[in-house]
Amino acid sequence: MTTALAPARPQTGVGRTTFVALAAREMRRFVVNPVFLFAVVITAWWTWAGRGTAVADIGLVNAFTAIFLGGFGMMATFWLTRSMRASDPVVGVTPVTLPARTAALCAVAIVPFGCGCLALIAFLHFHSASDPAYGAFSPSARIAVVAGQIVVPSLGGPLLGVALGRWVRFPGAALVLFLVLWSWVSLVTVVSGSHPDSAPVAVLRLFAGFTFFALHSDAGGVTAWRGSPWFFLGWQLALCAIAVLVALLRGAEGRVRTRIIRALAIAGVAALVMLVLAAAGGFTHPVTA
Amino acid sequence: MAGPVLRAGAWPAVAGISGVAVVVGGCGAAFPAAATVLFPICFALLAAAAAFTLDEPASLVVDVTPTGPVRRTRIRALALLAPLAAGALVMLAAAMRGLALPWAATGLALAGNVLLGFAAACVVRTRTGEPGATAGTAVVLVLMAPSLVPQVARWVRTFPAPGAGGPSSDHVWWIVLAVCVVAIAISIRGRSLPRWMSSVP
Repeated sequence: MTTALAPARPQTGVGRTTFVALAAREMRRFVVNPVFLFAVVITAWWTWAGRGTAVADIGLVNAFTAIFLGGFGMMATFWLTRSMRASDPVVGVTPVTLPARTAALCAVAIVPFGCGCLALIAFLHFHSASDPAYGAFSPSARIAVVAGQIVVPSLGGPLLGVALGRWVRFPGAALVLFLVLWSWVSLVTVVSGSHPDSAPVAVLRLFAGFTFFALHSDAGGVTAWRGSPWFFLGWQLALCAIAVLVALLRGAEGRVRTRIIRALAIAGVAALVMLVLAAAGGFTHPVTA
Repeated sequence: MAGPVLRAGAWPAVAGISGVAVVVGGCGAAFPAAATVLFPICFALLAAAAAFTLDEPASLVVDVTPTGPVRRTRIRALALLAPLAAGALVMLAAAMRGLALPWAATGLALAGNVLLGFAAACVVRTRTGEPGATAGTAVVLVLMAPSLVPQVARWVRTFPAPGAGGPSSDHVWWIVLAVCVVAIAISIRGRSLPRWMSSVP
């Protein structure tokens, strides 16, 4: 009697082992990056220093976590990605494809994402979700607001840095993009303050990786702006997926390239839908509480 | 000699970052409520642009030519006119929009930002042929420190915001200008380290 055995696929196992080894290697390089270490230390200090102090609105506190873990994380992964260019003639002849190496780099974003989760827990510990500084949002929407302001930028920033490092040669690209994003968020926040009822302005405000959902009002209280925090989370996660796919597209060939482009189209449509829903959902006009 | 030295400069980087700075500053002029945030970012970008003026990809060859670092740096310093002109354009736009900024102090801040970027590049240039990215990042992080860490803003202001309390930015920039001039003078003479440190024991 003969037994037919399904052929094993050793390549899958080998590929997974290689990926884990590469990801662990990149993660070790990332956690000792001075820019990332600085970001972690200053985020921890900022979170600790803010304990027990009453804040006018939460956005002004969370913006710094997004800047340090997201913005500085982007610069750190950009340099991490670019640092491999010099060794490309050697690394390029190894049996690992460029998309596999890019995927390993993207896996590094788990570290700042974890730091963002810890920062969120600490923030909720020091500033309870029942605090009036959150604005007129429901308890679940409040969690969505802080998750969108602390956790997802910590994931998206480093992923954007990898995509930028794969496609842009200019060594100052991450720095310039960091300042441009900062300018954009500042500009649309100021414009939203003067046109809080405008739907197009709300779309512009949400068209970013980070946004403010409530701002302290000069007349007293906190004014919650238009937009759905939950759908904004969806928009942010779609942007993260786009960043990963754009990074993986570099050096991808044949069927893999076709599949990445197809996934990119789907993620683009999902992002657009989420942006529209984020702008259309939530409060239809500013609410001061 | 000036032509080839200038031609070899990192013009796409200098012009590109200056262009982005003009857009950011232009938005500050168009939306006066955002000017106090956008103008410091615009000036920081101009400082980063200034840091790229000394980038020399062929430094291994250029550094051993008879043209000394003093002359090369002097020629490359002409490229600083690009970020300075961009900053002047932004200030002109803000003035035309009727922004009430202390113009003398703003001009001093612009000159200080650009010179700080250039001085940092001069210092880093003694170690590497392309100091732009490193020097630019360091300078931008220093310049944005008052915005990144609000506690720093209590002690140091890098932009003369109208009506704001606290220390004047003029004092900071006069000190920075003096330090930059000394740093540039020392670095282009090849003395990146004190003499006792550069000698092999």
